[in-house]
Amino acid sequence: MTAVIPVMILLPFLGALVIGLTPARRAEVFRPIAVLASGGTAAVAAYVLTQFESGEAGYQFVVDRTWIADLGISMHFGIDGISLFLVLMTAGIFPIAILGAKPHHDPKPYYAWLLILQAGSIGVFCALDLVMFFVFFEIVLVPMYFLIGMWGHGRRTYAATKFFLYTMAGSALMLVGIFALALLQSNATGDPLTFDIVTITDNLAVSTTAGRWIFVALAIAFAVKVPLFPLHTWLPDAHTEAPTAGSVILAAVMLKLGTYGFLRLGIEMLPEASVWAAPVLMTLGVIGLTYGAIAATMQKDLKRLVAYSSVAHLGFIILGMFSLTTQGIEGGVLIMVNHGITTGALFLLVGMIYERRHTRLISELSGLQKVAPVMAAVFTTVMLASVGLPGLNGFPGEFLALLGAFSGARWWGVVAVTGVILAALYLLWAYQRTFHGPLTAENASMKDMTGSEFAVMVPLLALIVFLGIYPTPLLERMEPSVEAVIVHVEESVPGFISPDPGLERRAVGDHGDGAEEGEG
Amino acid sequence: MLLNQFLLLAAILFSIGVYGVIVRRNGVLVLMSIELILNSVNINLIAFSTYHGLGGQVFALFVIAVAAAEVGVGLAIVLLIYRNRRSVDIDALDELKG
Amino acid sequence: MIIQVPPTVPVVPEQLDPSAVPLAVPEIVWSAVAPALVLMIGGILLLTVVSLVRKPLPSWFHATWTVATATAAICATVPLWQRVQDNGASSEMAGTVGLDGFSLFVTGVICVSVILAALLLEGYLRREDLVGPEWYVLMLLSASGGVVMASANDLIVLFLGLEILSVAVYVLAAMHSRRTSSQEAGLKYFVLGAFSSAFLLYGIALTYGATGSTNLAGIQTFLADNVLVDNGLLLAGLAFMLVGFGFKVAAVPFHMWAPDVYQGAPTPVSAYMAAGVKAAGFAGLLRVFVTTFGPTYREEWMPMVAALAVLSLVVGSVMAIIQTNVKRMLAYSSISHAGFILLGVAAASDAGTSAALFYLLVYTFMVAGSFGVVTLIGRKGDGRHSLEDYRGLSRARPGLALVFTVFLLAQSGIPLTGGFLAKFYVIGAIVDEGLYALAAVAMLTAVISAFLYLRVIVAMYFAGPAGAEEGSEEPAEFAGPPVRIPAAAGLALGLALVGTLALGIVPGPATEVTRDATAELTVGN
Repeated sequence: MTAVIPVMILLPFLGALVIGLTPARRAEVFRPIAVLASGGTAAVAAYVLTQFESGEAGYQFVVDRTWIADLGISMHFGIDGISLFLVLMTAGIFPIAILGAKPHHDPKPYYAWLLILQAGSIGVFCALDLVMFFVFFEIVLVPMYFLIGMWGHGRRTYAATKFFLYTMAGSALMLVGIFALALLQSNATGDPLTFDIVTITDNLAVSTTAGRWIFVALAIAFAVKVPLFPLHTWLPDAHTEAPTAGSVILAAVMLKLGTYGFLRLGIEMLPEASVWAAPVLMTLGVIGLTYGAIAATMQKDLKRLVAYSSVAHLGFIILGMFSLTTQGIEGGVLIMVNHGITTGALFLLVGMIYERRHTRLISELSGLQKVAPVMAAVFTTVMLASVGLPGLNGFPGEFLALLGAFSGARWWGVVAVTGVILAALYLLWAYQRTFHGPLTAENASMKDMTGSEFAVMVPLLALIVFLGIYPTPLLERMEPSVEAVIVHVEESVPGFISPDPGLERRAVGDHGDGAEEGEG
Repeated sequence: MLLNQFLLLAAILFSIGVYGVIVRRNGVLVLMSIELILNSVNINLIAFSTYHGLGGQVFALFVIAVAAAEVGVGLAIVLLIYRNRRSVDIDALDELKG
Repeated sequence: MIIQVPPTVPVVPEQLDPSAVPLAVPEIVWSAVAPALVLMIGGILLLTVVSLVRKPLPSWFHATWTVATATAAICATVPLWQRVQDNGASSEMAGTVGLDGFSLFVTGVICVSVILAALLLEGYLRREDLVGPEWYVLMLLSASGGVVMASANDLIVLFLGLEILSVAVYVLAAMHSRRTSSQEAGLKYFVLGAFSSAFLLYGIALTYGATGSTNLAGIQTFLADNVLVDNGLLLAGLAFMLVGFGFKVAAVPFHMWAPDVYQGAPTPVSAYMAAGVKAAGFAGLLRVFVTTFGPTYREEWMPMVAALAVLSLVVGSVMAIIQTNVKRMLAYSSISHAGFILLGVAAASDAGTSAALFYLLVYTFMVAGSFGVVTLIGRKGDGRHSLEDYRGLSRARPGLALVFTVFLLAQSGIPLTGGFLAKFYVIGAIVDEGLYALAAVAMLTAVISAFLYLRVIVAMYFAGPAGAEEGSEEPAEFAGPPVRIPAAAGLALGLALVGTLALGIVPGPATEVTRDATAELTVGN
């Protein structure tokens, strides 16, 4: 049972290996193998959920093996309340993405790359060693690069290259930062060199200045991945040109690597620097969420619109997390999971429309509701979730994030609220233009969702409704970890008191309040 | 007898050699310029060896031998090119660029 | 140029009495030079056997012989390695040959590059109708020179090793008798190589004048015991030697020959040059600068080496991305790799040296593999090297395209390949010295050169048919005659692939060896 994390990483990888060794002419077997491997991973992740001790703040299912002894690098993995749901979401969204969209050519490498991507993404969320984290953080670039470049649309080569280089440039300095951190840490403590995240987090000994520089080096990498406002330009291109499954994974998983990095290696590992940088990052988050919303409003391409809505949502996550309150961080993590579900679903739907109409231009689509009522209904639900309608899954996270922002930085919160309103504007307007209005001749022959397509959407819809009404299972599992983070920040930054109003009260052991607030 | 005079001579020879390699277009003359540099080294070595023992002179012998081998190979290559192109003009070799 | 006489030297020399200087013949320890001997004798024997046999021997015979000889040389290092680990490093033959982990490790790297290049050469020579033993003989002899250079503990021996290495490679570069570009490459390599040897030699002479010895141990002891009040001569010597080595390892601004030569030379020879010759050059550089002048003159040469490193990184990666010829691209990328290794040298620490050694090992596999693929794609005539010639390779030869992709990604430093860890160790070594800016420059240029590798991948995988609008899902047709993969070349690619990936996934054994090699690095005792 302790081996679940290696299993989750190796299973998709083995699937990819099997696909790689099967001759390409047996095209019919690749999809089942891919579904089996990624679905199996999802099943293991579900098992992890059942075995997870809620109420524990520390890491569970820990695996620790030496990798490179002389540098103190180990294969250290573990899951806590924060990473649990990100792992679950990653494990779960892959089978859905695989089932929800088919490649037009070359099925063999397509499925192999997707499985490698799954292995790498799970690795990032579980890694507890800086070098392992970096290894997985970088390795996921390659499969995504190939997915965009080979099975993408339009300017796919441009988009893929831009994606790869942007992200790689971001993480270039991260490696220097990681090494500087480990070396300075070992110089300061006198311990042998270690890259272990837990050890470094627990007794960080680098000077304030060094800590801030290292934070900047890491933050650039994460900011590109998130993407934060001035570094976001790769995202609309990559999202738009990627094949449907690629867009789903990009939105649901890849962007979260950045926000997760901010949380795990930023706030938790370098608390002082995070407090120092919080105003800047919150500002960037707010700019991102308003800019994303405004840009989305102006898009003519449906997929690009969804892409910009991602920029907006990710800005929300950053705002919530860097309010440095329990609610804010919980809200951030909740949005990470829920944005994965809703935006993944949106991309699947857009992909379905594109498969039928071979266009994503809003101006060429209209009146679809008349020919595709089921699709329209599903689209409505998902869209409303994305807007943040209470009762659907988008709401609790945004609410908590706003709550955190209000208690910490009121005016940022106020601006962020306008972002929520704008989200309603662009999504509803887009829905109105595509699904209502006169039914043109080209659109009249469009088919509605097939049964299997609907079946793929069912788990997503179920989660959208369930997590909207009852997010407590998530919150009660992540809360101890999140509180531990806040307490750790307060302890390690002299003079810093989290603006969190409810922290003292809950720290006594009264769990679950945040959840109820979320429901309200 | 001053060491400086020998070193100066060697330096002058060296500079002439470098100039020749850079400026001359004829392949054979370039080879000769390289020989000049090597000989300037020999003068240095022998001049120094008056102070430091025989090592320098032994080294100079090695250098002479190596220079002979080098020029042998160099002339062979120049000859090969002359056979193909009827010219030993180094600047005319411009197939490779980018 | 004004050259000052070191004050330790009396201005008026005493008359030397030749009979007063005894010429002692040192004890010859054959075992200490066993690897070099194996390579040299293997080469000469091959030539002899081929001349004695009346019928022309088949092509595979030469290649097998070469691979066997190189393997034997690797085997010969094993007992020596044990001896060094047990008894510590030593220097033999009157202190001219250093027997230490460092020289043995570099010997291994050079032999690996010989094996890979020989395997590539086999199919290449049959394809180009150039079958003959001379190629292999020259390669073995040049490798023996490289080994001598790596183990040299005396500047005379170092120079001899360098010349044995270089002269053979000049000829190899010009050996393709039907490609005039090969001869052009040979001449260019020869002129600049001889020029740079001359610079190195001049530097050696000045150093000898300043310190009174050509023996590295002697120089080190001299510098440790004496403080040179006026060290202009020595500094000039250092600078000239650095220029010489800079040419050999193709560091900017002494790199001009590399793109031309790599492009023009027969492709397997380019592989050998990029892997083996570079390793030998760096071995000399490390031994002379880090070990000999490291303790005393680090402050003087470190900025120079760092400047070379930064220039190589920047120029190599920027120039690489504007090339359209893949061989030329790889040449420029090898310049930027040289910049990375130079950073390891500039760190001037044990960590730096062992990082540089690890990098050399990984780079041997990566670059030999890359040039191996290029050899095959070049097809008959060795002329199809433009980026266009790679369009659609993923369809025509999916396996080959995938293997090339691995080599390219490894060169760009993607994790789980040796290329990542190689960069990782170098970055670690220079961050440890507090050189953060250098580390940042290195990583950023790695991103620039990643673009170049992506261009090749794009051509292989993403490109549509020529003239089609971008975004069409129509795959590109692979143009030209089909690509044949001879068994030996397949074996070479397989070995290189295994090496590249294994060093990235299980680096433990290799890093232990590089660390031991560095710990046992000595200039004599």
